[in-house]
Amino acid sequence: MLFGRSKKNPIKLADKGVVQWKYATCGYCSVGCSMEVGTNSDGLAVTTRGVGAADVNRGKLCIKGLTEAEILQAAGRGSEPLIRDDISESWQSTDWNTALDKTADEFKRIQEKYGRDTVAVVSTGQIMTEEFYTLGKLVRGVIGTNNYDGNTTLCMASAVSGYKRSFGSDGPPGCYGDFERTACLMAFGSNLPEQHPILYWRLKEALEKKKFPVIVVDPRVTMMAQMADIHLPITPGTDLVLLNSLAHVIIEEGLHDKQYIDGQCNGFEALSALIADYDPVSASKICGIDEQIIRKVARTYGNAGSAMCIWTMGINQSTHGSDGVCAINNLNLITGNIGKPGGTSLSITGQCNAMGTREWSSCSGLPGYRALENAEHREEVGKFWNIDPAFFPEKRGLAQTDIFPAIEAGKIKALWIVATNPITSMPDSGRIRKNLEKLEFCVVQDSYVDAESNQYANVYFPAGVWAEKTGCFTNTERRVNITRQVQKPFANSKPDLWIFNQLAKRWKQSEIMNFPARAEEVFDEMKQLSKGQGRMLDISGMSYDKIELARGLQWPMREGDPKGAERLYTDGRFQFPDGKARLLALAYKENNERPDNEYPFWLNSGRVVEHFHTRTKTGKVGNCNKFSPTPYMEMNPDAAESLGVEHMQYVRLVSKRGDAVVMVQLTQRVPANMVFIPFHFYNCVNRLSLGLLDPYSRQPAYKQCAVRIEYCDQQEAANINIARRNF
Amino acid sequence: MGVNVLDPSHNSILDKKQTLSIFPVRDDEPEYAKLRVDIKDNTSHQTNYYGNRISLVALDQTESLVINGVDEIGENANRNKQHAFYFNADNCTGCHACESACSEKNDLAPHLSFRSVGYVEGGTYPNYQRMNISMACNHCDDPVCLKGCPTRAYTKHSEYGAVIQDPDICFGCGYCTWVCPYNAPQLDTTAGQVEKCNMCVDRLEVGLKPACVSACLGNALDFGVAEELPDNREQMNTNLPGFPDPEITQPNIRFQQTCGMPGEVTRTDSMPIKYERDKAGVFKPVVDQKAGKKKYWSIPRLSSKENPLVVFTLATQASVGVFLTLFLGNTFNVTAINAIVDSVIYLPLLLASLGLVGLGLVMSTVHLGKPLRFYRGFNNLRHSPVSREGLGIVIFMACVGLHFLAMLPSTHWLIAYLPLIKPLQVPASILAGLMGGLAVPAGIIALYYMYRCYCIRARPFWNHWQAATTFFGNMFNLGALVTSLLAVPYLLYMDESFTGLLTVLGLLMAIGIAIEGIGLYFHARAMRAVENEGAASHYIQCTTFGLTYYARNGLIIFNLLLLSWLLISGLENGVGLLGWVLLVLSASLVALVGRALFYILVVPTTMPGAFFWKNKAFEQHARDIGLAELPQVGVLPDSH
Repeated sequence: MLFGRSKKNPIKLADKGVVQWKYATCGYCSVGCSMEVGTNSDGLAVTTRGVGAADVNRGKLCIKGLTEAEILQAAGRGSEPLIRDDISESWQSTDWNTALDKTADEFKRIQEKYGRDTVAVVSTGQIMTEEFYTLGKLVRGVIGTNNYDGNTTLCMASAVSGYKRSFGSDGPPGCYGDFERTACLMAFGSNLPEQHPILYWRLKEALEKKKFPVIVVDPRVTMMAQMADIHLPITPGTDLVLLNSLAHVIIEEGLHDKQYIDGQCNGFEALSALIADYDPVSASKICGIDEQIIRKVARTYGNAGSAMCIWTMGINQSTHGSDGVCAINNLNLITGNIGKPGGTSLSITGQCNAMGTREWSSCSGLPGYRALENAEHREEVGKFWNIDPAFFPEKRGLAQTDIFPAIEAGKIKALWIVATNPITSMPDSGRIRKNLEKLEFCVVQDSYVDAESNQYANVYFPAGVWAEKTGCFTNTERRVNITRQVQKPFANSKPDLWIFNQLAKRWKQSEIMNFPARAEEVFDEMKQLSKGQGRMLDISGMSYDKIELARGLQWPMREGDPKGAERLYTDGRFQFPDGKARLLALAYKENNERPDNEYPFWLNSGRVVEHFHTRTKTGKVGNCNKFSPTPYMEMNPDAAESLGVEHMQYVRLVSKRGDAVVMVQLTQRVPANMVFIPFHFYNCVNRLSLGLLDPYSRQPAYKQCAVRIEYCDQQEAANINIARRNF
Repeated sequence: MGVNVLDPSHNSILDKKQTLSIFPVRDDEPEYAKLRVDIKDNTSHQTNYYGNRISLVALDQTESLVINGVDEIGENANRNKQHAFYFNADNCTGCHACESACSEKNDLAPHLSFRSVGYVEGGTYPNYQRMNISMACNHCDDPVCLKGCPTRAYTKHSEYGAVIQDPDICFGCGYCTWVCPYNAPQLDTTAGQVEKCNMCVDRLEVGLKPACVSACLGNALDFGVAEELPDNREQMNTNLPGFPDPEITQPNIRFQQTCGMPGEVTRTDSMPIKYERDKAGVFKPVVDQKAGKKKYWSIPRLSSKENPLVVFTLATQASVGVFLTLFLGNTFNVTAINAIVDSVIYLPLLLASLGLVGLGLVMSTVHLGKPLRFYRGFNNLRHSPVSREGLGIVIFMACVGLHFLAMLPSTHWLIAYLPLIKPLQVPASILAGLMGGLAVPAGIIALYYMYRCYCIRARPFWNHWQAATTFFGNMFNLGALVTSLLAVPYLLYMDESFTGLLTVLGLLMAIGIAIEGIGLYFHARAMRAVENEGAASHYIQCTTFGLTYYARNGLIIFNLLLLSWLLISGLENGVGLLGWVLLVLSASLVALVGRALFYILVVPTTMPGAFFWKNKAFEQHARDIGLAELPQVGVLPDSH
């Protein structure tokens, strides 16, 4: 005892009284961390911890995972189904039967009156795979509308599209273990420390074991850019030009893998011909990266032996999103960096189960990476579900970003929104509001009754959050991991699976089909459907217990396999009929709204580590929300000085579509002609954004549009800020 | 619950042992979460950077930490050694994992944080650099919090060298939050107590690193026996841009910072401080003129949560001043004072002195988070100036009170009512003299320790002898002022001359004003020159409160001139009286405004904040617009 106390003070430390730890997979992002949720003697979830033996996160969790137990008891949870005839009326509590009957009746009425496809379903990347599969069965096989999509169109559609165009199928070919095996990593528009902190840690661990060059392409000096060996502060939307130019140098200097190209790829001649125009000097004029750096990066990448690219929204959310993904794939195919340890094109996915919806929800086709356009697939699934294959449309319907404009055109009359919040997350939200007002009927299914899109709903289904249910998520590296029910759903909310099953019962068609009540039974059904000669997405070797024991299993894992496959395409065979990958000649066309005299700033948007999506969860968790409780904008101090804008002042931003009020944070992190705003906040950046659609993926280009900055009355701005912050 | 016991020689699990620990080592516990146990006494350092022994006691002399009432002794073979945090600034990405792991483990409400991440930034796009700094308690070798705490709520344990605070003892005065240079102790105004980092001693006992360190996602934070360099690290620095001078407390944290930094780095929070690299390569704080150079009055902002302390200090100084003026004036046979002491008004004057010091004590008690625990304020006479100040004031008050009682038998009008007390006159007057004689040093000692309370190296604006001149100056000044307020009306009522009394009081006031003025002059000169947060305080003084500050200074000069004129012109008749009234008003204003400025202007040597979190201007804004009413904003609203 120091300082001469004769008697020690006893030490009292906080004890949350955990009596049991239950296994779960984090419900935020796609990294797919294994966690244990601690419950107290009342059976309530009180804390979380990372699972040490899980290969993905090795005991770690990020800020959101660490505080995730709080979202179960968070403010704004929906406790009862709600109903109202008109959105101008106030909500009435109701029972589940009334809410479900009303929904089914309205869907049937509208389909009868206007046609089958006038009911649209916009789903999510947030619920369990078993639930996605069941929703797909309900929508494709029972309700029978072709206008069914997920919010994954806002984040991963370009990656999906790019994988399909290059490799013949969706499915990220690499794994996190590639960080430890690669000799060069290039990141495009991917800010791991904020968006995927656990992957950043895995990268950092790999770098501490064996240093290799890290190249980061990002117009903003993120922490990721700061830790890079080479940072390329690119002009927004021009990644394709840079990628074509890198390919140009690699081929010009003979750094490409001729043997791999000859054996495994088609289209090399067309690609060579196109990229001849993308010499580094010409490219530098467009993408803003000088010739010498382009050459240096190309040589570093081309000479690495094994090199990998990761990317996130910087590529996906642009008018050349799908092309950008294909160009990354081009780069890795010509250098032979697909399907080998440390060589891959790894899209770092967004939501916890974006992969699950891509694989099993039937949004863009039929379950298990099957296509509506394929008669065999329609036949196969129709038989499996016991429905007439002719009931399926022969072509995919509208994507989420086309569904809203279709409301405008009167082609959609009813909308079912599942666990997504388009009022805050869709670009040009002013237009989205007008669309939603035109609906005859809208049902919102969400864990949080205060999700802003609920303003436009006639029926509200309160759903359970992740750990109130059982089921699987698939992560970025194709790892299927399980969440066991930790506690009962809040109040009278129900698991999404239960809601889908109950709604299905309102149609006669469901009586001859199988809608299993338990998630594990659904999983077994999916396993059956995943089997087949040459099928890549095969999960038939998995079971709930095996998944939990292994802390997640990667697909493909065929029946009898002891473990899943770390990588795809290791044998050099791709999913096109001829087994070869396609090198694509991708011409760049300037089509963005660019800064001009009237709107002199690029508007860039992105994410912060403490928030997830539209803050319906993290906005209520104090130990997350406090790090950015109101919207703000990063702005260059030099640009601010010329406009007389000051640090911590509110300003009004104006684009051709609307305005937004934000607080200014001056920092040299952004260039003088760009501002950056986190996208999480209600009535903020998406009042301004344009969101031109990628022609292949229909994903909006959130990150490229033009704004001007105006002075606004500080008190007025503060009033607006507070009025828009209910959570 | 079972715990895995680490085998020190192999860093592997030895066997299972029954334990009641909240954080037992799991079977799959990752290696990074485990403390290094392979440190041998003969190979590792014997002393730390500051020359203090790392082994605080012999291992067999360590005791149970009695965590949550469990009387176990941990298995950690290094539990007798001083432990330290290690922060690699090159690696921190500001991901908040350490903060949230800490808040999760310690079950903290959003407005509290035992660990905080802020940053400094510099350079020009794209050659821009942000350096994040994650900081908690540094479990210092010289824990100023422990020394400052009047209740002895702090213990520096010989186990791990952990400085642990017990909220059950704390009465919420917040003095530890003043003296700590790192903002480690957290004053929770809703709970009325301080809480802080406990080094996760429960985890240390089973061989695990603290929760924050185990959660770090940048491989920036580490923890272990002091001066043991973690693997793959090269530096063991004691300084970092934005980090206060380690000499203040000898903190147990070491840094690595090898990335080239720009010559100047700024803070995003509202603190008008930036850091410039000097020739030796060390970053020194300099003023960052964030609010420009314009001068404001900012009168409403003079009122702060420290208002009770404004009243407490002024009232106590006035009280001591009144008593010393009368008692010493009488002792040294100053005619005008003798007359007052012998008059009917002496007892009311003593009551005024008692009332003022009583008011002061009430105010200082009201200021506590848990006022009913006021009696704990004297627990740390060995180290804390707050305890000594408190004791001095209580003794002074008791002596003045007894002096008052002992004066009763000598009071003519009272004897007329109560003849019984007359025989007590002789012993009582001896007692009165004795008590009065004791009250004088007690009052002076109380004010001396009141001054010592503000000798805080982590608060450079206060840490100057000007605090003494202003306190003692106000003792003279306010003592004379209050005395005149009662004595002059009495003399007027008795139709006696007040000139003699006011001349004496005027001279005392002149001394008081002059002492304070000189102190302020030298203080301003010093603050302009210093290379620390004192300069930032002075900058705020000259801008945000610039007009108020200069008006106050002008009034001090005005008061001195007015007083000189009054003394020369003889302080007679209506003119003299009117002049005195003006002086009283003006001097009171100077005292009040001056003291309010004293509290508002201080800029502590805290760590850099972030844009929202730990940004005083945002916190104020959130309170102003009502955002703070949402608990998840992490800013406590103003208490209503």
